[in-house]
Amino acid sequence: MAKSSKTKSRRRSKIDPISLQVIGGALHSIAEQMGSVLYRMSYSSIIRESQDLGAGLFDVNYNTLCESDSTPMHIGSLPGYLRGIEHTVKLKDWKPGDCILHNHPYFGASHSPDIAVVIPIFFKGELVGFSANTAHHVDIGAATPGLIIDVPDMFAEGMLMNALKLYDQGKRNESVWNYIRNNTRVPSLVMGDLEAQIASAELGVKKFQELLATYGKDTVMQATEQLMDYTESMLRREIDKIPDGDYVAEGFLDDDGRNRDKTLPIKVTVKVRGDGVEVDLTGSSPQVPTAFNVPFEGSTKVACYFAFRALLLDTYTHSEYIPQNEGSFRPVKVTAPKGSIFNPIPPVAAEARFCQIQRVVDLIIKALAPVLPDKCTAGNAATLSFAAYSGVRPSGDYWVFLEVNEAAMGGRPMSDGPDTIEELMRNTRNNPLEDLGMHIPLICDRYECRSDVFPGAGKFRGGQGVIKSQRFLTPGFVTHESDRHKDAPWGVFGGTAGAVGRLETYNSAKPDDVTQNHAKFSGLRVEPGDVVTYVSPSGGGYGDPLDREPSKVLDDVLDDFIDVDHARDVYGVVLKATDDGYNWGLDLAATEKRRAELRR
Amino acid sequence: MIRVGVDVGGTFTDIVLEKSAKYGQQSIFVHKVSSTPADQSIAVVKGIVEICKMASVVPGDVDKVFHGTTVATNMVIERKGAEVGMITTRGFRDILHMARHKRPHNFSLQYDVPWQSKPLVKRRNRIVVDERLMPPTGEVETPLDEAQVRAAAELFKKRGLDAVIICFLFSFLNGAHERRAKAIVDEIMPNAFVCCSSEVVNVIREYERFSTAAMNAYIGPKTSLYLRRLEDRLKQSGINAAVRIMQSNGGISTIENSSVRPVGLLLSGPAGGVIGGRWTGAACKTRNVITIDIGGTSADISVIQNGELRIKNPRDTEVAFLPVLVPMIDIDAIGAGGGSIAYLDPGGAFRVGPRSAGADPGPACYGKGGTEPAVTDAQVVLGRLDPEHFLGGDLKIEPALAHKAVEVHIAKKLGLSVKDAALGILKVVNNNMALAINANSVAKGIDPRNFTLMGFGGAGPLHATALAEMIHAKDVIAPLHPGITAAMGLLLTELQYEFTRSVLIVANNAEANDFADANKILADLKNLASKQLSADGIALSKQRFTAIAECRYVGQGFELRATMPKAPLSKKNVGTVISNFYEAHTQVYGHAFEDQLVEIITLRVVGSAEVDTLKLPNLKKGNRNNPAAAKLYVRETVFDDGKAVKTPRFDRGKLLAGDKITGPALIVQHNSTILVPPKYKAVVMGHGDIVLNRGK
Repeated sequence: MAKSSKTKSRRRSKIDPISLQVIGGALHSIAEQMGSVLYRMSYSSIIRESQDLGAGLFDVNYNTLCESDSTPMHIGSLPGYLRGIEHTVKLKDWKPGDCILHNHPYFGASHSPDIAVVIPIFFKGELVGFSANTAHHVDIGAATPGLIIDVPDMFAEGMLMNALKLYDQGKRNESVWNYIRNNTRVPSLVMGDLEAQIASAELGVKKFQELLATYGKDTVMQATEQLMDYTESMLRREIDKIPDGDYVAEGFLDDDGRNRDKTLPIKVTVKVRGDGVEVDLTGSSPQVPTAFNVPFEGSTKVACYFAFRALLLDTYTHSEYIPQNEGSFRPVKVTAPKGSIFNPIPPVAAEARFCQIQRVVDLIIKALAPVLPDKCTAGNAATLSFAAYSGVRPSGDYWVFLEVNEAAMGGRPMSDGPDTIEELMRNTRNNPLEDLGMHIPLICDRYECRSDVFPGAGKFRGGQGVIKSQRFLTPGFVTHESDRHKDAPWGVFGGTAGAVGRLETYNSAKPDDVTQNHAKFSGLRVEPGDVVTYVSPSGGGYGDPLDREPSKVLDDVLDDFIDVDHARDVYGVVLKATDDGYNWGLDLAATEKRRAELRR
Repeated sequence: MIRVGVDVGGTFTDIVLEKSAKYGQQSIFVHKVSSTPADQSIAVVKGIVEICKMASVVPGDVDKVFHGTTVATNMVIERKGAEVGMITTRGFRDILHMARHKRPHNFSLQYDVPWQSKPLVKRRNRIVVDERLMPPTGEVETPLDEAQVRAAAELFKKRGLDAVIICFLFSFLNGAHERRAKAIVDEIMPNAFVCCSSEVVNVIREYERFSTAAMNAYIGPKTSLYLRRLEDRLKQSGINAAVRIMQSNGGISTIENSSVRPVGLLLSGPAGGVIGGRWTGAACKTRNVITIDIGGTSADISVIQNGELRIKNPRDTEVAFLPVLVPMIDIDAIGAGGGSIAYLDPGGAFRVGPRSAGADPGPACYGKGGTEPAVTDAQVVLGRLDPEHFLGGDLKIEPALAHKAVEVHIAKKLGLSVKDAALGILKVVNNNMALAINANSVAKGIDPRNFTLMGFGGAGPLHATALAEMIHAKDVIAPLHPGITAAMGLLLTELQYEFTRSVLIVANNAEANDFADANKILADLKNLASKQLSADGIALSKQRFTAIAECRYVGQGFELRATMPKAPLSKKNVGTVISNFYEAHTQVYGHAFEDQLVEIITLRVVGSAEVDTLKLPNLKKGNRNNPAAAKLYVRETVFDDGKAVKTPRFDRGKLLAGDKITGPALIVQHNSTILVPPKYKAVVMGHGDIVLNRGK
């Protein structure tokens, strides 16, 4: 039986800062290599293009030692999986060569399509940790292809794997492998992606063993503890600067995907106490009867961890690299009442959870904006458009394509909100339209900045949202997971609100006969020529529009983000006609006068 | 034959002149002048004129000038390129604005999005027109509206733009719309720099293709102006030599071609060093070399395997965060060099770099006002850089200032001795470099144990042995002139052109018509390459061609390169492509799936021709041990084990072939110092390169 080193931590002496830096760099590099192998080897576009994955190393206490710099949603979720697995496989039961699959939403998974591959790391016969990764799989045999919204319970999510042993001491369980192959609509993608995950986890095992052999186990494990302490202290230093208090912000979600007339409140209370912080979600909606619930361990907590890292240890404004490990989770406590949308009770489904956690992050930012004016943002789109397009080829094989549509950021203390971009918890890459066109019967008719609204006005304006139209060339199905058709992104410090999103369908033969859809729906059947158009929300503005540099307002007119009237009415910037091909130039004198009038 | 190589860096312009035996003895001259960033060609010409004098050569006798330039790269980094207009497909105005919609930072709210805040083509100058091509054949769904193209061109003309790109969706399947639009723009704006995406790089993926075209146009007008000006200045100074420009892929090209396709010049600067590294490796009888060029603020790392330069996967080629789909040598730059500053961050972590003291004020020991310790200061504290030999004594350095900087900022704060603090600085910076080397080697399936580490740039030979130990390299080379290896490399390049086109064929299921298509494309690409080589005066018999299939498993998103058979592609030999792909996949990822279908995405033909290569004179044989004749003096030096040892200095200029020096020793030359740690043995090779080994 394998020994565990769980009991004998904390008795080594501190190691010097130079060795610490050396080992920290090596750990970071291992995580990056694991992530890189995973996304480059994988098959489905959601992993290889969108990089919807996470990878890292963990100790036997399930602390994160290092994680790849990939989609934030995955970073910090793996410890939940490992703790979930322990309900079934105890530490003492792991054997060298084992490999476990896990995706159970009530045992720590982020949500069921994010399957984790976990391989134990043994060194000199002793279990010293785990190499693990998660990746979003295109289809796990749920009620509708790819994604689900309106389903009765978690059993409609598809294959639930609770600490499922795929490899037992190096031997693959072929029955399990075949079971998975036969229960997904797209085995050609899913099986290849699982192979990539296994290769990535095996690499992590090998690299960590090499590191232990080079520096000795005690030194490495001591270093990991000090690195976690270091990251923790960096975050606590920043939290400590925020005045103690309870900071509250509220918003609401459109609906649960079934009960269309019922909006769902979200209430975030950020309790700052010294160098620690608690996010309390009490007052948010009770759990809902559809899949629109959030797994607590794997998603709710991860969102809160993200918010504080991004706000307080912003990697753009901090030049120092801060190791990505457990230390960044420790100062943040998360509370959500059992039975609420953020901590549901089984067997309710909890697959479609992204829009909710985006809003949690955005509301944390909103709550803290008054005390962090130079670190916050105006209201972000803070949503997700996750579309599952699918159909059956003449051969009888399914094609399933998961598309993540971007949105926009709110204005910021020093700069405009970026347009058409992945914000907050997500950071995937889009799929080249040409690559899609060559491989699936779907053609994109429009993909650019939306032009029907102006982004939130401010000293720094909100980002402009996106519009994307996908046309079916053969019959198929669409499931769409989104939100924010009702509650627009807010402006801050005098900025104006952004705009809500839309989801339209029509047939290209009758482009004027447009149906406005709810933001989320399941299993819509479509015919050739049917077009699905997603229009994302636009971000809110930061600061008084009258303080915006006139030249930036002119730029926005020339670049068609706003028009001349809006420049005059909202920004107080008056333009005059020119004959240089651009048609408009600044009238500074008139602008000064106009702004004085508006300020009155 | 007289050939000159000129490599322009941020601070210095390095010049090498090779005089062949026809002019008396075969000999090499090297020279350095200060760079002239406002117009690099001033220093280039000045340096050539001066080196001609040193070599007693009349400028008119120079046959060829080989030039590595950072003009194009700097233009992008500083955003000083052309005002570019874009004509694109209706509905897709913002492909360049959205990029791949991924933000550059995961954990940040305040991040910058360079393609939005500093776009190569402003939104106001991106004009959409009606036209639509359909996959998978490229058939026309909506014909091109020529009147709209005409109106856009008229508007650009009125706006005074000097470059225009034409970028249509799916143009890689059918370039007719792009070519027609280009003809219209050319007609209306005859003096503008106009290119279409499918001409610059004819491959699938709209953002990357459009971005490459935008980059080409952005740097086009000013790069061609620079090259013409360079030619003029050379002529005015009586130099009528043919000028060849270093390309990012390690080949060279003519001024004419570089002016049309400047996007191939973006890595022109660092490429020469890698080629110099390959050649020095060959001279020292090794075909597997990891090169690290250590400068003041950054280090460039590259890997040469079996004598071949490694070309970066096209999915990873970018400049200033913008993708550029042109073949580039796989060179990885990290922010670590002699000027990197060591400090303790607010959380107490020991950091070295990427912040750099630069050239001004420079490390503390320069005495120009810098007080924070840099890597160079640590070297001085440890007695590894002697004041009298720093840049040949050209630059005065003050060891006391280095000592003080390390003491105040590191040693006292950590409770270490100054010596241990200095050793710590080197350990951390070496570790950063070693990790970057690993990311560029081990992470890509290369086993450094079979590789020689070659450190160049002025500081390279000071770090090389420590780095070699950290990455477990076989041995170490210190090239003859570490400070000007890149300029030497310029005299070693070959003419090289690459042409690509997307095909999308599933290799395992391909039928006769697929092979016919592929073979026709290959023939077209070969013709294009041959035409270009012929235009450079290369006889058909001297032209060589390599065909590459960029493949992936059906459903994957990243291609890998598989070499193609010489014979036309057929059912019989397609298996070779497939197994070459498996091999590449195994090397890069450690796995290959032999039961999966392989799709060929892009065909690439590389046409090349060898040109004259550098001949270094042979040194006289010495075969001495620690030759007293080359010994300068003995001084204390601290090595990585922390021990201070009385260490002799040798004058590199006085060493002869076969001489052996046993560590501890320092070998000094004008702009570089080689550290020979205890237990190491340094052997002087035929041309004067030095190979260091742990003594056996």
